[in-house]
Amino acid sequence: MPICPACEIKLDSWRSVTDHMSERAQRSDPAHVMWLNRNLSLREMTKEELEERLEAFFSGELKPWIISRFIEKFYGEKPHPFMVAMQNPSREVLLGYVIEHQHFLVNWVRILSKIVYETEELPVIRYELGNITTEFVGTESSPAHYELLLRMGESLGMKREKILSTPPLKGTVEAINTWRKLSQRHWVETMAAMHSLELVAHKNLRRYGARIHYFNERILDSQDFPEAVKNFLREGYEADQYHAEEALDLVERYAVDQERVKVTVLKSFDAFSKYLLSRLERAWSLEAEVIA
Amino acid sequence: MRIVVNGEEAGTKEKGCALCGATWGGWYEEVEGERLFFCCHVCAREFINMLNKLKQATGWDRVDELVINGDYYRGRNCEARHGERSLSFYVKFGEDAEVTTFRILSENH
Repeated sequence: MPICPACEIKLDSWRSVTDHMSERAQRSDPAHVMWLNRNLSLREMTKEELEERLEAFFSGELKPWIISRFIEKFYGEKPHPFMVAMQNPSREVLLGYVIEHQHFLVNWVRILSKIVYETEELPVIRYELGNITTEFVGTESSPAHYELLLRMGESLGMKREKILSTPPLKGTVEAINTWRKLSQRHWVETMAAMHSLELVAHKNLRRYGARIHYFNERILDSQDFPEAVKNFLREGYEADQYHAEEALDLVERYAVDQERVKVTVLKSFDAFSKYLLSRLERAWSLEAEVIA
Repeated sequence: MRIVVNGEEAGTKEKGCALCGATWGGWYEEVEGERLFFCCHVCAREFINMLNKLKQATGWDRVDELVINGDYYRGRNCEARHGERSLSFYVKFGEDAEVTTFRILSENH
């Protein structure tokens, strides 16, 4: 059913959504104007054109739609600056990743636990508990991503205590707050919001049109980076493809209101972009410390 | 003040919002004696907060030219001019339109 992607009211047709969005945009309502700017066009459109573009934007099966939108936002014509920095990462960029990502990962498993609590679907419970194990708990033979992340930080010369005691930057806090708000929605929407983000390290995303990979894969065989850096990056490289794909299959299977799921995913992408910039900002502040 | 956003002149309804270049909406603010067009009040507040930060960093009393490249997803790389002097900087805003990052890239002032 057609939905306004900014304020999420349900309307009977895309024509009605168009009338509603045009009226709000004419009043300079920030939520509606920003949605149009970020997702459809910076240029004002006629109602006919807007209706056509809105309907086309929201059409398509959920999983490929999410993958396409993710690529557009993060790996399209102008890839996100953090991914660009990861093509030849400095020590500070990697440490910026470590410091901000520890906060992301703690919040990650808290939200996944909420999905476990809310759903009655056993495949979803099994999937989420598996993901929590991989990301945060680990097994005897395989340390958790969280542990590998901290080891990466240590290998770059930062003490574990220093990493753990560094509070997140404002952008990270704002992004985490957005995800916590999204976790109050139906568990399928929360699941889509979170696991679509694991597409970031999907190693086959270039098949779908991504211009670059999350990081320069030559790092994995390079002698220029500590083993702990390679171990962390390799783990995501191997795991996130399956994490994201399997989760999106479950989302597709259980989603009833596809448009609402799509709207939720876009809000998560906006938060993710802000969060990735925080990793870079952390790197810049570390560079400034070195210079000082 | 001459304003260029992502390669296009901006600041009027026809040309686009003085911060993001969008032509949606119709919000106007008086900035340095000029009536500038913005797509919404958030962009207007961000622009004014950025300008104040710029003046605070440089001591300039006015800005003659502002070239802005970027968007919400990437943050914004800017170049400001005041007479013969110039400043390149990166700026990013928080959810209350406040400047959260103002990083000077190069300066000649």
